Amino acid sequence: MYTAVDMPKKQSPKAPLIQKNKKMSVLKSSLSIANTSGDSTWPNSLKDYVERSFAACSTSARKRLEKQLNQIISSAVKNKKLNSINWTIRPLPKACDLEPQPVLSVKRTSVSAGIIDTSDNFDSEERKERRLHRFQKEAEAEAARKEAESSSTMPIPQPPNTADVHNWDADTIVGTCTRLEKSYFRLTSAPDPSQVRPLSVLRNTLELLKRKWVEDNNYTYICSQFKSMRQDLTVQRITNSFTVEVYETHARVALETNDLGEYNQCQTQLKQLYAMGLPGHAMEFLAYRILYFLYTRNKGDINAAMAAMLPSEKQEQAVQHALSVRAAMAAGNYHRFFMLYLATPNMGGYLIDKFIDRERCASLQRMCKAFRPRLSVAVIAKDLAFTKVDDCIKFLAELNIAISQDESPSVDMKLAYPHAVAAMQIYEKVDIKGQIY
Amino acid sequence: MAGCQRLAQAQHKFKTLNTVNNGAELAQVIQLSSLYTDRVLEDIHKEYGSWDVLEMQPTRGVWDEIAVTHFQAAAAYRLRSFVDAYTRQLSSFNAFLRIFRNMTQWSLPVLYTLSRDLCDVAQRADHQLTTSSSQGGKLEEATRAINQGFSLCMTDREPLLSKSRKWGTFRMANILFALYVRHKAYNLCDSMIRALKASELPPLEQFPMSDQVTFRYYRGMLAFRNEKYTSAKEDLLFALEHCFRDSYNNKTRILVCLTPILMAEGRAPHSRLLRRYPPIKAMYGELAKAAKAGNLRRFDELLQEKEQLFVNTGTFMAVERVRKVAIRQLLRKIYVLTGQNSRMSFQMLCDGFAAAGITDIDIPEMESVLADMVFCGYIKGYLSHDHGIAVLSKLQPFPPLVSIA
Repeated sequence: MYTAVDMPKKQSPKAPLIQKNKKMSVLKSSLSIANTSGDSTWPNSLKDYVERSFAACSTSARKRLEKQLNQIISSAVKNKKLNSINWTIRPLPKACDLEPQPVLSVKRTSVSAGIIDTSDNFDSEERKERRLHRFQKEAEAEAARKEAESSSTMPIPQPPNTADVHNWDADTIVGTCTRLEKSYFRLTSAPDPSQVRPLSVLRNTLELLKRKWVEDNNYTYICSQFKSMRQDLTVQRITNSFTVEVYETHARVALETNDLGEYNQCQTQLKQLYAMGLPGHAMEFLAYRILYFLYTRNKGDINAAMAAMLPSEKQEQAVQHALSVRAAMAAGNYHRFFMLYLATPNMGGYLIDKFIDRERCASLQRMCKAFRPRLSVAVIAKDLAFTKVDDCIKFLAELNIAISQDESPSVDMKLAYPHAVAAMQIYEKVDIKGQIY
Repeated sequence: MAGCQRLAQAQHKFKTLNTVNNGAELAQVIQLSSLYTDRVLEDIHKEYGSWDVLEMQPTRGVWDEIAVTHFQAAAAYRLRSFVDAYTRQLSSFNAFLRIFRNMTQWSLPVLYTLSRDLCDVAQRADHQLTTSSSQGGKLEEATRAINQGFSLCMTDREPLLSKSRKWGTFRMANILFALYVRHKAYNLCDSMIRALKASELPPLEQFPMSDQVTFRYYRGMLAFRNEKYTSAKEDLLFALEHCFRDSYNNKTRILVCLTPILMAEGRAPHSRLLRRYPPIKAMYGELAKAAKAGNLRRFDELLQEKEQLFVNTGTFMAVERVRKVAIRQLLRKIYVLTGQNSRMSFQMLCDGFAAAGITDIDIPEMESVLADMVFCGYIKGYLSHDHGIAVLSKLQPFPPLVSIA
């Protein structure tokens, strides 16, 4: 797009084309847009809209207007909303700072008449071609720059980038807030774009939060920040690999801090995101799901998860580990279970920690029934994967199991057996309450 | 509008059958595919050229309504517009339910027929809808209607037991089970069983045998799903033994659940049974052989091979239980081969396992496996960690598998 006035850089060897009259150049510009849109079926209301916006725009703002129009129209084309958006009532792009002139059909015909009149002596075919061609190149350059450019510097709300946003509709907003940090507040009304951070800002926020988590380890703060990030992503309907990254990071942080509630929320979302085909650590989180089912002992869920798994998924290291844990538990092979526990990949260890004591009681039951007459505490601690013998002593003391007070403390297995059984009863009771059938 | 003569005759017939409480014949004629219905529809078609006249039939009273909607449904069925047929059948069913409240035991066959037809039409309607890529869901609606019929049976207040509608309860329950299982709504199944247990019904044994067998199959299958293997075994055995002799498919279904339970008790399926039921043979035949022989390596191989099959049929957990039988058999073999010495070192057992093809078990793991065996009761004896040996009972080191819970 060009205007004879605003052409500082381009050194055209030809004589600069004179702007005959404002209206003519308006129509030419709009025609040029029409020609380069690649879609000749523009509704008249759209052509009208373009014309009106140029008419309402001062020459200094014209470049910005072109950019905005390009964006609006190309996103409408991509979403096939060309005909469904009501261009007559759609507000003009923000670059229009003059009074919008009323659309009069009379004006149009005079303008088109004007085009025909002047085409003979001024716009030879060749020159018209060159102009259109030039506009095309500029438009392409414009589009290329737009892709790479960060959107956060523009204060004007823009239609969302359709690569990142699915289910774009009239209610989806694009945020304009540039503050990196924001506490979480539950939404009670429609979101305000000035409070919502756009994608580029959120990327920076994630980096900041990762650093802060490592440095400060303040979970309340981090959790609130992550939740507000998730809120911003949801409100802008951004579903891409960045969304996956945010949920994954929050899930890991929640696991580390033992917040199963938030972990579960993230896991649910991640399941859907992976199902959409978005890249991420799907196998890692599949392993976490299996370990979680082992915690709840929900056989129906385990069965369903196994039924839905592909053979290729079962070969993945994390998933294989989780399945081996399941098999060891089913076989009552506590030794293998604890060996696997000590070698859990990623953050699965935190999940197993949730039910490790239950498994320790079950294993102790078996050991008490089978071994005679005594077992040293050192052996018990090793078998039950206690890193420190003192932890083992504490564990046994909590179950009221007597430990001999000599230099190598040991436990009388026969006497300890009823205590171990009693301990398991507690776990059975708790689990029945918590289980979901 | 005088209405169709033939149709009026049919309506009259329904009403008479109702008055004389002839449940059997009424059930027969009210079937969508009954000869009577065919004849009536044919006559109407011959007279009027189409079935539109059915829409305009005046109705006085519920039986008229039931009759007319029934014929409309049948007509739509013949025209293969199943969604239409479904709607009519549903309204016929609901109309029947309205008067069913005041009916007694004689009308149960009618209820059964209507329910069966309703399910059939709903399924066909769903199929039609899904192939034309719209939403199914008719079967779910039908399920709700049938649930109503079921509760009307169960909550009957009739003091005279021989006239009570309660006799239809288990039949309706079985229809509902089939529907719920199809929708994978197992929690609804469980709640229905609880409701049945809590209600004041005559004992199950007094109901018709076919109702008993079907009900016990479902109850056993649900217990199986919840890992309550003892009660599952009881119900499934009963169902198998009393099942109608020629119901091959039903018996196969019972066996799919029953076989792993029995295998875990050490009862391998008999060769005659395997011959008669090839699907069972394909699923469990080799596994049973491997478990019996103590061939743990082969057992694990087969388990991995057929894992997907077991997971899909919901029998994977049950089959895993059989693995312990395989381990027990292997231990017993080693015991016998080494001269029935009641003191067996862990090292020797590891060597025995290695000879059998399982090379990745070390002594700590062997201790754990043995501890589990002792705990579950497969071995009688104790382990000495310090001496590194297992000391088995002299009397009965390997108790019979049947005695283990």
